Amino acid sequence: MIIAEQKPLEEIKDLVGDAEKVLVAGCGTCVTICFAGGAREAETLAASLRMSTRLDGATKTITDTNIQRQCEWEFLDEQREGILDADVVVSLACGIGVQAMVERFPQAWVVPGVDTSFLGVPAEQGLWEERCAACGECILGITAGICPIARCAKSLLNGPCGGSEDGHCEVDPATPCAWQLIHDRLTSVGRTEILINPQPPKNWKAARDGGPRRIIRDDLRIVAEQE
Amino acid sequence: MKARKRIARAQDLLAEIGLEPERVEMFNMSAAMAAEFAAAATEMTERIAEMGPNPLRVHRPESAGG
Repeated sequence: MIIAEQKPLEEIKDLVGDAEKVLVAGCGTCVTICFAGGAREAETLAASLRMSTRLDGATKTITDTNIQRQCEWEFLDEQREGILDADVVVSLACGIGVQAMVERFPQAWVVPGVDTSFLGVPAEQGLWEERCAACGECILGITAGICPIARCAKSLLNGPCGGSEDGHCEVDPATPCAWQLIHDRLTSVGRTEILINPQPPKNWKAARDGGPRRIIRDDLRIVAEQE
Repeated sequence: MKARKRIARAQDLLAEIGLEPERVEMFNMSAAMAAEFAAAATEMTERIAEMGPNPLRVHRPESAGG
């Protein structure tokens, strides 16, 4: 899922500026699970903004809501009125949600209340770790289900590098060496022969290096059927 | 202890908002520690008296009570 972290209150206040009607919009999916921008966080942020604004001597109307999925038009449409009525919407969704809202309602002024951090898992209660770099060409089938693109600091296809020490990364000793994990797992399942052939250079055009990406499915597109 | 971490989080939120985080405090004691309870209550009462009332509290005229 997408992992995010709420911005400091001061930064959010700067983004809100002198807007008088403020809507704090939580999102019911990824940011809810990582406790960054769900209904509860939206409610807490709205209360914090109200209190802080009053202490500053300003008067604003600050309300909060929750949208099931801010990255889909259908769910945004359900709250069209509230979004358009606000001078500013503080979206607690990931960067996708903020942009979806702007695209759907070009008249609305939407600012982000969270920093979108990475694609990852809740490794344990209160700890989230990156697992996927969305590189566009998944190699997990040859790396024992452990991604060196996302989890190796150098994104090596043939590792480990010389900086792997006692199973940890030289960049951050708190990070396990992805290639150590790959070797250990392949050994445990008796499939180390997978590593005999070195991997050729990766096609990074499928990743961000090829510019913004899109997927077209003509069998699903309604527009394509009408043309 | 989960409650202690949550209190720390609440104190951080208060500080971010601009209120004194010392307005919230957690004291550990058992039901049998009456003297410690009284001391904690006195400490908090004195602390709040020194800080003054919550600036966000809406003033209600006494006549409106009941």
